[in-house]
Amino acid sequence: MTDKILIAFKSIGKNKNRNFLTMLGIIIGIASVICILAIGDGFAHTVTKGMGNHNTRNKVVIMYQPTTEDNTDGGFTNNDEAVLEKIPGVEHVKLTSSVVEAGAKAQYKTKNVTMSLNKQPKHLKLVKGNYFQMSGASNGVYISEDLAHKLFKKNVLNRLISIDGTVFVVQGIYHISDINYRPDAYVSKTVFKQLFANQISKDEARLSVGPKANKKWIGKRAVKQMKKMGEQKNIGTYEVSNPDQVSKQFTKILNDITYFIAFIAGISLLIAGIGVMNVMYITVSERRKEIGIRRAFGATSNDIRNQFLIESVVLCVIGGVIGIIFGYLLVAIINAFLPFKAVITAYALILSLSVSTAVGLIFGFIPSNKAAKSELVGLLKEE
Amino acid sequence: MLKVTNIGKTYGKFTALKNINLEVADGEFLAIMGPSGSGKSTLINILGLLDQSYTGEYLLKNKNYKTVSDNFLSRIRGDQLGFVFQNFKLLTTYNVYENIEIPLIYSKKEQNNKRELVEDVIEKVGLKGKEKNRPSELSGGQQQRVAIARAIVNHPNLVIADEPTGALDSKTSKEIMDIFTKLNQDGTTIIMVTHDSEVAEYAMRTVYIRDGRLYNDEKSVKKS
Repeated sequence: MTDKILIAFKSIGKNKNRNFLTMLGIIIGIASVICILAIGDGFAHTVTKGMGNHNTRNKVVIMYQPTTEDNTDGGFTNNDEAVLEKIPGVEHVKLTSSVVEAGAKAQYKTKNVTMSLNKQPKHLKLVKGNYFQMSGASNGVYISEDLAHKLFKKNVLNRLISIDGTVFVVQGIYHISDINYRPDAYVSKTVFKQLFANQISKDEARLSVGPKANKKWIGKRAVKQMKKMGEQKNIGTYEVSNPDQVSKQFTKILNDITYFIAFIAGISLLIAGIGVMNVMYITVSERRKEIGIRRAFGATSNDIRNQFLIESVVLCVIGGVIGIIFGYLLVAIINAFLPFKAVITAYALILSLSVSTAVGLIFGFIPSNKAAKSELVGLLKEE
Repeated sequence: MLKVTNIGKTYGKFTALKNINLEVADGEFLAIMGPSGSGKSTLINILGLLDQSYTGEYLLKNKNYKTVSDNFLSRIRGDQLGFVFQNFKLLTTYNVYENIEIPLIYSKKEQNNKRELVEDVIEKVGLKGKEKNRPSELSGGQQQRVAIARAIVNHPNLVIADEPTGALDSKTSKEIMDIFTKLNQDGTTIIMVTHDSEVAEYAMRTVYIRDGRLYNDEKSVKKS
């Protein structure tokens, strides 16, 4: 086997240019495969992280939906929580909100703007001003460029604005990109809690259940109980939220995209494979004398077939390895422009090498077989 | 070593060999002489198990290999036979060492040290120091030595040589024939095809072939 691999390298090295051109198709095909998978994996990773793919295994989530859009209040109350906790199989209930931001009205001079706001994050990149964690009772506010333009028509600091009747000083202005969602304003954690947090309705009830509990039954039962006993059943509806379903749908879309691009990559690899077949045919006819000599000195037709198959596979695997390196470079370049990070997984590497090997085996087989089946006396007449 | 009974071979309507009967003993050095087109190469292709489409019976070491599989035949060739082809037939992209090593790659004989075997045979044919040279860097005589070394590296029972001195001058021919003589003295059976009577004199026995028929001496060829 080692002998055959060495012979393969020698033979490939003999016709470097020709073989490199043959490999080019494989290099491009494999580099595409690496890029596709890296972007797909990176995207999936970012999305599932963004979706809050926490451990939902032992949780049943009941959502409250107000009947009319005007009425954004309402949700689960402490009494509802007590009712839900009594359902058999439920260990603990936590009321949360699907919306973490509060809505408010901002006023500057005579201008009134509806806006969303939240407590300040740890880090925030500003286009104007300096960012720091504000102390408890600080009346500072960081606002988006968008809000600044609506209120003052330009980015200016230290203006006084009124948010739901409380006066705040503009400390800094930040940019909201299309990709990263942010609310219109950030205030200090303490101020947010004191003035705005109570506005946020608890529209989610997270039921922690035991590992053996029947989630489906608990979900149905909880919805039934709330429809009967929920304190705000008259102004809203209750339903079981299924995060698995959402991620499943998303995965399906991602898979469809991956299949489509894989199809394109498949076609380029098919063309590359035909190139490999062509070059292997040329190699076989150029080396008829060598085949004859090897057969005369003990090589079986299987030895000859394997020899050329190994050459074809080595050729494709070299192409595959170069393609992987090329793919790495491309992914590094793509990452500079993507809003998320494309990641190359071990699976992508294994798949690429397997595909290269398969192309070598499939497209090398017919020429190798031709070499193995050639008539010996005819081969020995070659000069 | 081998026994040939009533061997015949035709290419379409052309009869290449007819009623060939020949016996070669172990350790013999046989020369087959004849003009070109007489059927010499066809005969040694059959004797060397390179061509299996013939009529009649051929026994090598008392075994008939006519109906064995192609792969089995390859193994027999690799382990029992050695070939020295016309015009050397060396692989030009391989060096001396790599050319000689070929039979050992496929051999099923138990060999502990292939490297030692190749080096031994290189010394035997007087090519020490040329291991890394390509055939194009060698003289005709040296290339023929490489071809002989390749034929004997796996210690075959029978060496078949087709015009081993055909492309060489008389001085180099003598050197090459000395190697064959020495090889034969060491116990290897040799069958050699030649059209040069001086070269044939190195053999113990000479048979003649003409128009596909075999004759045991020159007189009977002339009579025919």
